[in-house]
Amino acid sequence: MRTPDSKSSAWKAVLFRFETLLLVVLAMECLIFTRTGTNFATQGNALEILKFSVEIGLLALVMTPVILTGGIDLSVGSLLGLCAVCFGKFWRDAGMEWPLAAVLTLGIGALAGGVNALLITRLRLPPLIVTLGSFSLFRGLAEAITKGTDNFTGFPPDFLAFGQGYYGGIIPAQVPVFAVVALAVWLLVHRTTFGRSFRAIGFAPEGARYAGLPVERRIALAYILSGVVAALAAMIYVARVGQAKADAGTGYELLAITAVVLGGTSIFGGIGTVQGTLLGVATLAVLKNGLQLSDQPSELAGILTGALLLLVLAGEAALKKFSARRARPAILPAKPNSTP
Amino acid sequence: MKSFALALVFSLGLFAGCKPSAPSASNGTADTPSAPGKQLTIAFMPKSKGNGYFIACRAGAEQAAKDLNVKLLYDGPTETDPAKQNEIVETWITRGVDVIAAACENREGISTALRKAQAKGIKVITYDADALPDARSFFVNQATPEGIANALMDEAARLLGGSGDYAIITASLTAGNMIEWQKAIEKRNAEKYPNMKRVALRPCDDLREKAFAEATAIMNANPSVKLLMNICTPAVPGAAEAVKQAGKAGLVKVIGLGLPSENRSFVKEGITDTVILWKVQDLGYLTIEVAAALARGELKAGATSFKSKRAGDVEIQGDNILLGTPFIFNKSNIDQFDF
Repeated sequence: MRTPDSKSSAWKAVLFRFETLLLVVLAMECLIFTRTGTNFATQGNALEILKFSVEIGLLALVMTPVILTGGIDLSVGSLLGLCAVCFGKFWRDAGMEWPLAAVLTLGIGALAGGVNALLITRLRLPPLIVTLGSFSLFRGLAEAITKGTDNFTGFPPDFLAFGQGYYGGIIPAQVPVFAVVALAVWLLVHRTTFGRSFRAIGFAPEGARYAGLPVERRIALAYILSGVVAALAAMIYVARVGQAKADAGTGYELLAITAVVLGGTSIFGGIGTVQGTLLGVATLAVLKNGLQLSDQPSELAGILTGALLLLVLAGEAALKKFSARRARPAILPAKPNSTP
Repeated sequence: MKSFALALVFSLGLFAGCKPSAPSASNGTADTPSAPGKQLTIAFMPKSKGNGYFIACRAGAEQAAKDLNVKLLYDGPTETDPAKQNEIVETWITRGVDVIAAACENREGISTALRKAQAKGIKVITYDADALPDARSFFVNQATPEGIANALMDEAARLLGGSGDYAIITASLTAGNMIEWQKAIEKRNAEKYPNMKRVALRPCDDLREKAFAEATAIMNANPSVKLLMNICTPAVPGAAEAVKQAGKAGLVKVIGLGLPSENRSFVKEGITDTVILWKVQDLGYLTIEVAAALARGELKAGATSFKSKRAGDVEIQGDNILLGTPFIFNKSNIDQFDF
């Protein structure tokens, strides 16, 4: 049934999609910073932006399924710190080879995510409260392990290469890892029944339960995934900075949530895409980098990030209102018939 | 799949598609660095931006930049954060600057980024807190650890009459210069004042309110403490405030490395006895002078002295450029200094 009318409304659907709006914002950022920044529009800088987005990007990617289910994970930044410290401890004090330490660290991430999942699904506690607790708990553990002062440095070069090396002298070593995780999360959310169930749970948890979905298991999966990827992000962070300290990743959870929400995912769950999150991450990273290359103080990034988030959300709401008003006349004529 | 691929291609393509390092068409203000005859661009990084000490440093650096006609970029973490320092250095590498002058929060952490800058032809110096020696050409050293430690320890011993318990509040237990100072203080203590005993050592993360909390905790936990020695600048007024609010003025003495301006009221009230510091603005000024001289080829490795407009003839020991001996500020002279 392809009438000219349905074709034009399909175009409108693309035009009014949230991702399109965000793409325009991103393109505008790039245009402005190309003019104001020194060496902004270079291949080297593009890859540099990508390199610095990897940790936040990873956290945002796995935050997306969590928020889709109507939950939130405030503990990822703290967990990043805890995993960084555990990795350092395993490698230096337990004398393990770094690959073994890395595997164990991923295990710790899974375990920590599992603790969140258990409290949320078994005890039916609100995710906000549970992860607010583990936010303090994980950071506290990290500080306790290092007594707030110990700092792990001097990691082997073949490990540091994961955060500081370049493939072919061009592609930062952590970028392929990020691409793989991005693709995997995208497949999970958009191409499997798991993904559909995340959204169904976010829309109506009780409805999903009556429809026979294993709601608890699906929610648990989202939080465990979040934990494992936080551990991965921790090791990339350690490799990039060359040190593991208890304050690693402070505030990252809020940046990740900002990127997800900026990317069009509803904080109430049910609506959102992985590609939107990627665009959200890119928008924030370009803003920060562009301001620095324009010799602007970094505190301006905070102001503009906040302003951008509010502006884009307001823009989205306005678009919705506008398209709803346009759509109404099509429905209205049918009404008189149905009313007595 | 299509929408994902589209988003990915777009977000990557938007930057990757841009021309590789095309020299931006100069529009009057364009400053392609390191081109001969162009104005030098010097990037200057504090450990943390809110710290009054670094604000004073910056004032000196800006004065020097004006006098020497160089462009000064100033950026750093809002709170001490080694990861943030690395990010800023990497951005400066991308931007292209002539010299990077950094006060390093973490010696090993920042050195990888600084080495990368050197590999790209950027001159690197450090001031206030050093990086690893192979990651920079010179370190502008505000004072030797012994100079600082001896001044602090001698003053503490003088105030307590040579015996008693004291506590140290430091910035962080990982910062390179803090560790050196602690060790030098311990050495002086052991050598000259056997009856003085350090009973606590706490970090305040370069934050005044944290120093306040730590000082309060130390006084509660160790009633024997008669003196708080603060070896980072925000800690001196923080500790003084804690002593004041605890009503222990005079019972617990406060000394430390601090800015006269931040401590003036406490010194006049008699809560803080002595503030020890070098002339901080001169440190910022000298750092920019050294940076410019290095970029212009006027200062080379192996030099033994350097002529500064503000700090006079300064001595160079190896690759350490020495600002001079610490200065003692107290009730009698604190009004003469405005930094």
